[in-house]
Amino acid sequence: MILDIDTKLLKKNAYRVTKQRGITALRIRVPGGHLNIKYFDIIKEVAEKYGNGTVHITTRQGFEIPGISMEKIDEINELISPIIRGLKDEGVQIEDEEGGYPAAGTRNVSACIGNRVCPFANYDTTALALKIEKLIYPNDYHVKIAVTGCPNDCIKAHMQDIGIIGQVEPIYDPSRCIGCQACVKNCKRRVTGALTFENFKVVRDPNRCISCGECILKCPTSAWTRGEKYYRIVIMGRTGKKNPRLAQTFIEWADEESVLKIIKNMYDFIDKYIDKTLDKEHVGYIVDREGFKKFKEEVLKDVKLPKKAKVANHIDYTGYRYERNTIYD
Amino acid sequence: MGIELDVKSFDNALKILSKKYKIFAPVRLKGKGSFSDTDLVTYGEISSYKDIELSEKSRYSPKEVIYPITQTLFYFTEDEYKEPEIDDKGIIVFLRPCDANSYLKLDNIFLKNGPYEDNYYKRLRDKVKFFVIECTKGFSTCFCVSTGSNKFLDYDVFFRFDNDKITCDVKNDEFSYAFSGKEVEFTPEFIEKNEIEVKLPDIDKISQNLEYVFNHELWDEYTKRCIACGRCTVSCPTCSCFSMQDIFYKDNPKCGERRRVWASCMVDGFTDVAGGHSYRQKYGERMRFKVMHKIYDYKKRFGTTMCVGCGRCDDVCPEYISFIKIVSKVTDAVDRGESK
Amino acid sequence: MTNVYMPRKAEIVSIIPQTDIDYTFRLKSDILPQHGQFLQVSIPKIGEAPISISDYTDEYIELTIRKVGTVTDAIHELKPGDFLFIRGPYGHGFPVEDFKNKNVVIAAGGTGLAPVKSIINRYNRNPKEIKNLNILVGFKSPKDILFEDEIKKWKEKFDVLLTVDNGDETWTGNTGLITKFIPDLKIENPDDTIVIVVGPPMMMKFTCLEFLKRGIPEKNIWVSFERKMSCSIGKCGHCKINETYVCLEGPVFNYTKSKQLLD
Repeated sequence: MILDIDTKLLKKNAYRVTKQRGITALRIRVPGGHLNIKYFDIIKEVAEKYGNGTVHITTRQGFEIPGISMEKIDEINELISPIIRGLKDEGVQIEDEEGGYPAAGTRNVSACIGNRVCPFANYDTTALALKIEKLIYPNDYHVKIAVTGCPNDCIKAHMQDIGIIGQVEPIYDPSRCIGCQACVKNCKRRVTGALTFENFKVVRDPNRCISCGECILKCPTSAWTRGEKYYRIVIMGRTGKKNPRLAQTFIEWADEESVLKIIKNMYDFIDKYIDKTLDKEHVGYIVDREGFKKFKEEVLKDVKLPKKAKVANHIDYTGYRYERNTIYD
Repeated sequence: MGIELDVKSFDNALKILSKKYKIFAPVRLKGKGSFSDTDLVTYGEISSYKDIELSEKSRYSPKEVIYPITQTLFYFTEDEYKEPEIDDKGIIVFLRPCDANSYLKLDNIFLKNGPYEDNYYKRLRDKVKFFVIECTKGFSTCFCVSTGSNKFLDYDVFFRFDNDKITCDVKNDEFSYAFSGKEVEFTPEFIEKNEIEVKLPDIDKISQNLEYVFNHELWDEYTKRCIACGRCTVSCPTCSCFSMQDIFYKDNPKCGERRRVWASCMVDGFTDVAGGHSYRQKYGERMRFKVMHKIYDYKKRFGTTMCVGCGRCDDVCPEYISFIKIVSKVTDAVDRGESK
Repeated sequence: MTNVYMPRKAEIVSIIPQTDIDYTFRLKSDILPQHGQFLQVSIPKIGEAPISISDYTDEYIELTIRKVGTVTDAIHELKPGDFLFIRGPYGHGFPVEDFKNKNVVIAAGGTGLAPVKSIINRYNRNPKEIKNLNILVGFKSPKDILFEDEIKKWKEKFDVLLTVDNGDETWTGNTGLITKFIPDLKIENPDDTIVIVVGPPMMMKFTCLEFLKRGIPEKNIWVSFERKMSCSIGKCGHCKINETYVCLEGPVFNYTKSKQLLD
């Protein structure tokens, strides 16, 4: 049997080259980690009919179906067309529904379970993930984005190129406060100790408050209530072999519109500065090379941040390196 | 006889009444629920029919209309005590029979307990006009029939809200001028059966077996389960405890105020005495104290059960502790204890 | 409408330090309280606290106040000529009419002596009102002893047993808890003896039990309770124990009642 396969196209199509010759695996995108159960039948059919009867749940909340023969890719792409159509129906720009996934560089936008279920979440993470998916997919640039409902960061937004963390502005009505100090004690024990009790009422230190909204949850009288929704954007976190590091705060108190625009702008930045001689280049390494200042200028182009927003002047990346000389290469 | 109103004539009545009254009703505050993208249903001032929220039980009761969470008792300037003024408008409250009855329960504490009437309570309470909302179905945690708070006949005006068809019975002639519409046959109805029926304990039996009930092992469970957050007491329409606080103003320390603020027997600090001692340190003991007040000792004192059966305590408990279940356990224990 | 929370001004006439942290404040006042009643005492902007009346005449009242919190700390800063704000008296005191012509035993621990001091002084002025008075007072240590001068005076007329939990090198008197001395106390006719016990919760509990062992009928024993109070008029709920409001039905209780106050 002759196997003549363009592996670049195969990868772009969301399949992968595995250790077993001629055998591939398909990744199903699940934006926001939330999938209509009707698609399970298709995933099951692909796994049973073309795969080895198993499915792997990926770290980015997709499904990976292993043990597929590369020859069957066209058949499988046709079989999964309802899933692709589902993306299209949500507004994702896809031309050929029968052709499988049109790109795989930009990874699935993952999300914690969000406020559809979790009491701590400050917004509907699944909905935002889908909005981002519509904006950035399909795209070949290697970008990882995750959105999380609160600073607990269950989705590990701090390990992404762009992480979105839900913020809420807590509003305090002293006349409703009975001084039980549930918020004060909780903030000290579980958050950052931003609340103190003075003169029988609660005082919030905005410099310590990370706007997680726990005070609102703990309040028995609704003295603390929810103000506007905001987002903290953390950037350039990554794993990888070369220089893993946690993402750092870029902007606090951004609104949804700005978040989307900044993400969109980041693709223009990549386009402008990516080293085209390379097979691929992560956005984080581009920023490392070109500098945060340039990145900031590019991504904030035409962005109207809310008055409250705060933008970092510089970012103190640490992370770690295995060998010192990699810095100089 | 009743009067049939449409939304327009109802709104017109509110407009007329608002000249002399502040009008309160259950309202929906968008996005003000504890969890994101949820609403808070509570009591607030209204100006039209569309402001009234009837589809959901309010998280907080109407008690704060006459008994605010924070109430200034005195303003201090140097050594002078000055009582705050209140505005001269009356108070109309749209409420269900259980909540209307809760006002009578508060009356017992503030007006009848001890040798004095509480003047701060009385001056607001005296203004209240009861605009009772007909409630024939209740909600899933209601047990007002069991506590005998399902009816309230001493209303000023009684309303049936049937979608946008409104029928009212104006019992207090003082309000006749505001409501005009077609005269119709109208008999106010009250809920006769809740989904939940609770057998309240016989208070004489408790009296005879007080130590047995107080030391019963049923309370131990709540030492483990309860987190002493106070949500049950805050949402309760009949809880009335408060603490006094004196403060001086940061920007002008010579002036300040003395106020009273709701307190909760479930929350730490309620029994602290000078020198560091406190009582009922176990949460199970606090639960016992609260439950017994609601179903036993208040009744012994005033002849009526304190709890009105609104079920808010069950609705708001983050630890899923059911007051209703505790009452059943107490009744069982009392009945069994007596047969021993 | 009468404002039941409105206090009145009372001038501090003199301040008599008892220990480092217990001062007696004498206030100009014509209140004639029952023995064992209390006042709500406040300083505007600082706060209000319930304080038992330790003595009175028709010209003044005395409050013996221990420095243990925000309000009492601030009161200790005051000087003669300054004002305190008071409302009350509140609660029920000891029914001294019923004690006439009886043997009376008063057992007080620490600051518990304050609410019963006026009774002792009443009998000191008029010893014929009762058959006999026996006083047991206990303090933690010699430096905690309150009303030392008055105790000396009482010794001239009555049997006074003063004890400290822990003595020091200079202490030559009794040591040990009050309960230690009750078994040997001379009680001739328990049915005709009234016992008053005031002090910290544990002291009251065990002292009462000792007197019961001596055959004192429950109905002859009287105690006084200390509870957190905000209003003192049966509204705020802090002092409630089961069905009993300490501010209304107490702070003085007969033992037959107090033993039912489960908490």
